[in-house]
Amino acid sequence: MIKSLDPRITREQIELNNPINPLADMDQWETYEVFHQKKRGDQHEHVGIVHAPNLEMALLFSKEQFGRRGISVNIWVVKTSNVFASDYDDADIFETVPDKQYREAGGYKVMEMINKYKKENKKII
Amino acid sequence: MNTIAIKELLYKMADDLLIMGHRNSEWTGLGPVIEEDIAFSSMAQDKIGQAGALFEILHQLGENEPDTVAFMRDANKMHCSQFVELPNGEYDFSMIRHFLYDHADQLRFEMLVNSSFEPLAQVAKKIKGELKYHVFHANTWVVKLGNGTEESKARMQTALNESWNYALGMFETGDFEKELQSENIFEGEEALKTRWMANITPFIEKANLKVPDQSTWAPILGGRKGYHTEYLQQLVEEMGEVFRLDPTAQW
Amino acid sequence: MYGNAYIDPNEKPLSILDGEDPIKLAEFEARIDRGEKIEPKDWMPKEYRKQLIRMIEQHAHSEIIGALPEGTWITRAPGFKRKLALMAKVQDEVGHAQLLYSAAETLGKSREAMINDLITGKSKYSNVFNYPALTWADSCIIAWLIDAGAIINQVANSKGSYGPYGRALERICVEESFHLKYGHHNVVTLATGTPFQRQMVQEALTRWWPPIMHFFGPSDKISNHTTILMRWKVKMASNDDMRQQFLNMYVPKIWDLGLVVPDVNLKLNEATGLWDYTEPDWDEFKRVINGGGPCNAERLAVRRNAEEKGRWVRKALLQKDSSYVTPLA
Repeated sequence: MIKSLDPRITREQIELNNPINPLADMDQWETYEVFHQKKRGDQHEHVGIVHAPNLEMALLFSKEQFGRRGISVNIWVVKTSNVFASDYDDADIFETVPDKQYREAGGYKVMEMINKYKKENKKII
Repeated sequence: MNTIAIKELLYKMADDLLIMGHRNSEWTGLGPVIEEDIAFSSMAQDKIGQAGALFEILHQLGENEPDTVAFMRDANKMHCSQFVELPNGEYDFSMIRHFLYDHADQLRFEMLVNSSFEPLAQVAKKIKGELKYHVFHANTWVVKLGNGTEESKARMQTALNESWNYALGMFETGDFEKELQSENIFEGEEALKTRWMANITPFIEKANLKVPDQSTWAPILGGRKGYHTEYLQQLVEEMGEVFRLDPTAQW
Repeated sequence: MYGNAYIDPNEKPLSILDGEDPIKLAEFEARIDRGEKIEPKDWMPKEYRKQLIRMIEQHAHSEIIGALPEGTWITRAPGFKRKLALMAKVQDEVGHAQLLYSAAETLGKSREAMINDLITGKSKYSNVFNYPALTWADSCIIAWLIDAGAIINQVANSKGSYGPYGRALERICVEESFHLKYGHHNVVTLATGTPFQRQMVQEALTRWWPPIMHFFGPSDKISNHTTILMRWKVKMASNDDMRQQFLNMYVPKIWDLGLVVPDVNLKLNEATGLWDYTEPDWDEFKRVINGGGPCNAERLAVRRNAEEKGRWVRKALLQKDSSYVTPLA
C-alpha cells in the first residue's frame, strides 16, 4: 500500500504494483466540437473539443473547460462526426482572381466620372 | 433580528458547504475522465467560496475571522450534517450525494432569496447561477448512470440506499425553527424537506432508481449539534495542519 | 507545467526524410518558411508527425501527473484564499492536459492510446514531477518556479509551426500567468513571514533547485535531427537558452527575498552575459527519467488507480452507436 505524502492517496489504499489494465477503444467516448460566444452580439467561435458520451454532458463539460473564467455567454456543441469540412489541399478554391472586382466595394469608383461631368458642365451648374 | 437563530442557521449551512466542498475537492486530478474532473472541481470551488461568504456574514455578526472559524475548529464544534463528512468512496456515492445534497442546497438558497435577513438574501441571489449548474450536472449524471450498464444501475441503487438516511439527516431541525419562521428569515427544515422530495422524485424516476421503502427511513441526526462520524475529526485536522505549524503566521 | 520534450539519446538515428515526396516536402517547408501554420489534415513528413505527437503527448502527461505533487496539499491548504487558488491551479493543470491531449489527437493518436502509454510507463513526462512536495512550501516553490520555467518553454513553443499545439499553448500561457503570480505571492508571504516560514521556504528551495536546473533538459547535441526540428519549428529554443532565460529572470527575484540558491558557482558572468552554474547531475536526471526517482512508481500507480476507478463510470455512459473520428482542430 502506498503511504503517500498526500492523505487522499493514502486513504485510497493503492498497491504500488497495481495491475496495468489498458483502456479499450472508445473508453474516452466520442469528441464534440465546442463553439462559444464571448458576449451577446458576437459570433460563436470554435474553441476546442471535449470528449463526452452525449450532448448534455458535452455541454456540461464545455461550460467548465472553456467557460470557467466567465468569458462565454453561450455555448454550442456539435459531434465532430457531424461536421463536414473542406480539405486544406483544396485551399486554392478560396483564392480569388482580380477580375472578380464586381463583388467588392472597391470595384465601384464614381468620383472620376462625377468630377469629369462637373468640369464639362461647369457653365450650366 | 434574532441573532442567535440566524447564527445557528448560518453555521449549519456554512459547515455543510465547507465540508462538502472539501470532500468534493478530493477528486481534483483523480476524476473518472478529464473533462468531468474539471467540472467537478469547479463545483467544489463554488461550494467553498459560498461557505466563505457565509462565514464572512458570521464574522460581521461578531464571530471570529472566516479562516480561523472554518479551518481551526474541532469536529465537535461543527454543525454540518453527517452526510457531507462521509468519505468520497467511488463515483456512485459521490454522484448520489452530489445529487441529494445539491438539490437541498439549491432549494434552501431559493427559499432564502426572500429572507428578511438581508445579507443572506443577497448571497442567495448572487449564487443562483452556480447552484443551477450544480443541479443540472447532478441530474444529468444520476439519470445517465441510473440508465447505464447493469453494473452502474446496481451501484447507483446501492449508493442511494446507503445515502438515504444520511440525506434525511440534512433536515435535522434546530432549536430556533419557530423564531426563524416567525421573523421571515427561513421557512424551516420541514418545508425544505417537502420541497426537496418533490424536486428529486422525478429525477430518481428518470434514473430508474427507487427511494428506499418508507418503513426503513431513520434520519441520521446529531450533526447539527456537534455529533459526528470519525471521519470529520480526521478531515478538520488535515484542513488545519498547515495553519497549526505556526499559528502566529499569515499564510 | 512542462520543461522540454525529452529526446532519448539512445534512440537509433533516423533516416528522417526517407521516402518523403520531395515536392510535397518542399511545399511543406516553404509554408513554414513563410510563417504559415500547419493544420491537422495537411500533408506532413512522418518525422514531423512523430516528433509532435511525442512532444505534445509528453506535455499532456506532464500536466496530468503534475496535478499530483501539488494536489498533495489540496486538503491542507491554509485558509480560503489558498485553498481556492490551489484547487483552481490544479484544475487548470488538468484542463491543460485536456487541451494538449486534444491537440495531439488531431495528429492521429487516440487519447486512449496516449493514456495507455502513460500508465504502462512507455511514454515519459516531465521529470520534475517525480519529486515529492514534502511541505506546503514545496507546493509554493513549484507554483512559482516550475510554472515560471514552464511559461518560458510554452511561450517559445506557442510560436511553433503546428496550429493546434500553438492554439492550446496560447490559452495555457494565459492561465499559467495566474499560477506564477499565485506561486510568487505564496513564496513572498513565506519568505517575509515568521522565522519558521522563512526556514520552511528556504528548505523547499534547496530541495527543488536541482530538479529546477534539470527542468529544461541537458544541453542539446547539435545534430542533423535537431537542426531539422528547429527548421520545421517543432523545437523552438535550445535547452540551454531556455535555462539561461529562466536564470536571468528569476535568480534576481529569489535573491531579492534574501533566499539562498544552493549553488556556490551561480553568478552572472559579466563577460559573456550568461549565468555560470554548477553543471547539474545529469546521471541523476537519467536515473529519475528511467524510473529511479523518489515518486515515479507512486505517480504511475495513482494514475492507474484513477483510470481503473473511472472505468465503470465511462463504460456506463458509452452509447452503443458511437464511433470515434479524429477531432478537427
